[in-house]
Amino acid sequence: MATTRMLVNRRKAVRNIKKITRTMELIATARFKKALDRATEAEAYTRKITEMAADLSASATDISHPLLQKREKVRSTLLLVIGSNRGLCGGYNAGILREANQRLGQIRSENIPLHLELSGKRPITFFRYQGIKPERTYTQFEDKPRFDEVEEIANRYIDGFTRGKYDRVEVAYMKFLNAARQVPVVETLLPLSQSSARDERPQEERPVEYEFLPNAADILQELLPVSFQVRLFKCFLDAAVSEQIARRVTMKQATENAEEMIKMLTRQYNRARQAQITKEIAEVIGGAAALE
Amino acid sequence: MPERELQCVVVTPEKAVLEEAADFVAVPMFDGELGVLPGRAPLIGRLGYGELRLRRGMEVRRFFIDGGFVQVRANTVTVLTARAQRAEDIDTNAVAQALHAALAPAPTPQAYEEQLKAQQRARAQLRVARHREEIRT
Repeated sequence: MATTRMLVNRRKAVRNIKKITRTMELIATARFKKALDRATEAEAYTRKITEMAADLSASATDISHPLLQKREKVRSTLLLVIGSNRGLCGGYNAGILREANQRLGQIRSENIPLHLELSGKRPITFFRYQGIKPERTYTQFEDKPRFDEVEEIANRYIDGFTRGKYDRVEVAYMKFLNAARQVPVVETLLPLSQSSARDERPQEERPVEYEFLPNAADILQELLPVSFQVRLFKCFLDAAVSEQIARRVTMKQATENAEEMIKMLTRQYNRARQAQITKEIAEVIGGAAALE
Repeated sequence: MPERELQCVVVTPEKAVLEEAADFVAVPMFDGELGVLPGRAPLIGRLGYGELRLRRGMEVRRFFIDGGFVQVRANTVTVLTARAQRAEDIDTNAVAQALHAALAPAPTPQAYEEQLKAQQRARAQLRVARHREEIRT
């Protein structure tokens, strides 16, 4: 009797969990769609900026901008780790933190002073456990990072970089390749690689002859900080999209597992019930036989 | 026969604000306004704070543009800016307050530059807002 009762209770609990995971899956799906829409809308801006930078650098060949300068000796590095605020998203944070930690070890072995900045509660708790103190932490970035907020951080980095406080700025985040593939990466954002401004240039038959106001070099001077801001913003957007995908996949798995478990428990319950019935019948027959 | 129509696209990092046809577009350049008519030669320019104006028929639409870049090419005007705000959405009181804050004496040269920028932005915003009032009356 006791076992059947227990099995029923257990099955009920699993059913409740399944309901929760199923709901979370649906929420993550909806959020993922929204985040993806935002990312694609932002893509238009990024694409245009890149296109313009390419057109400009074609006209102004020798440009020197502090953001492009590669420092020969890297004396300090800034590492920004973008994770999530909430858990229940499978290997999402683990993947990023593994990459970040690896990079951290590398930087350590080179004996370069490190400025660590973290976004998201998960990375914060992870590094606290590791005993590494971050310089700054952010928890305001959820699934809708705003450009204003990112711009503020970007401007601080630009400032620090030009003043020589940081010689390199790196970001660890989950790069979004497509809906089925995301990879954790550590990317160097500063100094800006010149090739990034030049690549992805669609091959045209004839380059357009632009009129530049005031002139190509001046515009490029202004364009580079913007292009850095946009790239950082894109990191945050990618991270938001990837997080929702990771959560959706994990919750889907959890729902499926719960279903399987319910099936198993039902089978066990039926067997236990049948065993009990058989036992009772045996007892009744035994009792009847004793009376004869 | 050249096309007699411009396509005006305004994008910010967060979203595409506007994608519309227009007869005439005026963009706020870093040193003053620039008018664009259909058939204009390709151009890339730096924007300042000011008013973006689109005219289509008799209808004029106004936006506040917070710096950025403009690209004109093949009858398409692309405006890339950090922030674009419809003239109707400007909150005059908030802007006036921002201007007031920006007018306070700055402690460092760097802060002074920041404040100068803030002043310019606020003044441009007020200007756009004023235009809107004039039209209404």
